[in-house]
Amino acid sequence: MRKKIFLVLVIVLAFVQGAYGKDKAFVEITSFHKDVDISKVGISDEVWKGVAAYKQPLQRQFLVEPKPKEVGVKEVQVQSVNDGKYIAFRLTWKDDTKDDLVRIANFSDAAAIQFPVASEPLPEYFMGEPKKPVHILYWRAWRSKDQTDGVQTVNTAYPNMTIDMYTFDYKVSGVGTEKTQVQKDMFIPGRAAANPLSVAHKEIVEEASAEGPSTLKTKPVENTSADAQWQNGTWTLVMRRPMTVTDKESVQFKAGEKKPVAFSIWEGHRLESGGRKAVSPAWAEVLVK
Amino acid sequence: MQMRKVFNWQLGRNASYVYPQVRPKKQWAMVFDLNKCIACQTCSLACKTTWTSGKGQEYMFWNNVETKPYGGYPVGWDMGILAKLGVQEWQGEKYTGKTLYEASEKDEKILQHIPVDEDWSHPNIGEDEIAGSVNKGDWLTLPHRIWMYYLPRTCAHCTYPACVAACPRKAIYKRPEDGIVLIDQSRCRGYRECVRACPYKKPMFNVETRISEKCIGCYPKMEQGQMSQCVTNCIGRIRLHGYLSTPDKANKDNPIDYLVHVRKLALPLYPQFGTEPNIYFIPPIHAPLSYMEQMFGPGVGNAVKMYKNIPNDQALKGLLVLFGSMEKTLSSFKVDEKLAYGYDDKGNEIVKVPVTEPMYVREFFDQKLKVYRQNTP
Repeated sequence: MRKKIFLVLVIVLAFVQGAYGKDKAFVEITSFHKDVDISKVGISDEVWKGVAAYKQPLQRQFLVEPKPKEVGVKEVQVQSVNDGKYIAFRLTWKDDTKDDLVRIANFSDAAAIQFPVASEPLPEYFMGEPKKPVHILYWRAWRSKDQTDGVQTVNTAYPNMTIDMYTFDYKVSGVGTEKTQVQKDMFIPGRAAANPLSVAHKEIVEEASAEGPSTLKTKPVENTSADAQWQNGTWTLVMRRPMTVTDKESVQFKAGEKKPVAFSIWEGHRLESGGRKAVSPAWAEVLVK
Repeated sequence: MQMRKVFNWQLGRNASYVYPQVRPKKQWAMVFDLNKCIACQTCSLACKTTWTSGKGQEYMFWNNVETKPYGGYPVGWDMGILAKLGVQEWQGEKYTGKTLYEASEKDEKILQHIPVDEDWSHPNIGEDEIAGSVNKGDWLTLPHRIWMYYLPRTCAHCTYPACVAACPRKAIYKRPEDGIVLIDQSRCRGYRECVRACPYKKPMFNVETRISEKCIGCYPKMEQGQMSQCVTNCIGRIRLHGYLSTPDKANKDNPIDYLVHVRKLALPLYPQFGTEPNIYFIPPIHAPLSYMEQMFGPGVGNAVKMYKNIPNDQALKGLLVLFGSMEKTLSSFKVDEKLAYGYDDKGNEIVKVPVTEPMYVREFFDQKLKVYRQNTP
């Protein structure tokens, strides 16, 4: 019942904003076909010039507590191109502060693009619903910095930190130096538990599925590559992925088809994380040319 | 946020919580005698070497000891949230003020104080600092005009945990078998809602794994019938660890029940937060009551009076010597004229200690060796 009320609310809100707001809540994005290798498309490549940028208004996440009072990012510009095999999305949004440094009380800038696994019947736009999963491509600035400057550790977070020694990491041989990395990792709980956030990755985009709020689950696939850049108070993020993949629970694109899409942006400086985020107010649509 | 009503015996009333009331089969609980703590930090290090010696855990003290009133880890954890909560009232044993859940802002689950990075960088700031300056002509009185005391603390494995309430992923759970609260290390996503929400600031963020961790109540030891590392390593023997019943089921033979419910000598830490914390403190007899009432609730006056009378109170005297006398968890205890006894859950005797240590006086002159005995080392 509550979910239905939410859904009605979402629709009403989307309608009201669409009818009276300056920006349309329901955004139709076109993914343009280009004769370049989209699997390698970069942030500032020529191909983006002249590709229409769609203004996607964002608002505070307002369905699940805790709800942020206000969010840092109110709008994201979306562009998309494809070459029939790969599809790429370029997101651009204003953010005065670059938050990509891992520290105890730091939160990462982040962005996510969400697609329904199946468009019929369409799941709720906010993280899907039971038996109607969504596929989420989640980028964190922390992981971008990992990629460009090497994986951030406690030593990069706190360069002046000192410690006598770690278990099995002594300087003398025979007292644990023979231990394997797996045995040493027993003292790093997240890694021992193979938490997806705690282990090394090939890509800076995490792929996840969800069947409603609080159900986000990392997928065991990494089909999306990305580059991100922060310059003059603006983040630019390019995500690239094959239009079709073997994983059945992943989004698949086909020329001529429309695909519902939703966006989230987190402003780390405002301690935004989890449900404290800016979201697109309804499903938008991307038409693949 | 729509809240549920749950009974909080520490407040003497129903109070708000995010989830319906579910009490564990038994509740992990720890008692600390603050009159005996010397801030040697053996507990902190026993915990650290056992559980948080890994990379990313350098700053973590699941158990810490801070000096009150000024010390705190993270810095100002209690002052921060108390200032936000504002002045609240007790009427006798009943708390008429607002709990942190009841005072939560719109769209939030609980009122929060969020420490900044630097707050975690000074685990022992303010150690040994006294509450004021010593003036010329000051003399000692009780309570002292100039005072401080040490506050050792762990996660309180609350009955109504803020971390459990706050976690948007249900990655934190309270074990039904013993009430221990744990963060599922494979499910956590490092949102740090628990770090924000816990008023005691015991969940901590690991920058190496990018997820949060907290005191695990030494559950592997508790499952073996043993008390936690911070308890068994305490050289001051200030701690006792076991299981606490609800007040209506209080068992006077259970040492924790006896101290908390029967005698009300051990009091919860900041009960007004509304999480029903399960670390209980025997308040120091030398600090101002008004300060301690803020920290331990309205029972402080009686507890101090009772503690001062312990020389004439054989049961309490006996129970206090059982502190630190065994590694196993006691299910029950008994004190007679000479000895204090501790028993396991099958009634087997675990420990027997003289209530008053026998004193032997040696002759000043050793007849056998023909020498005088000296006490100088």
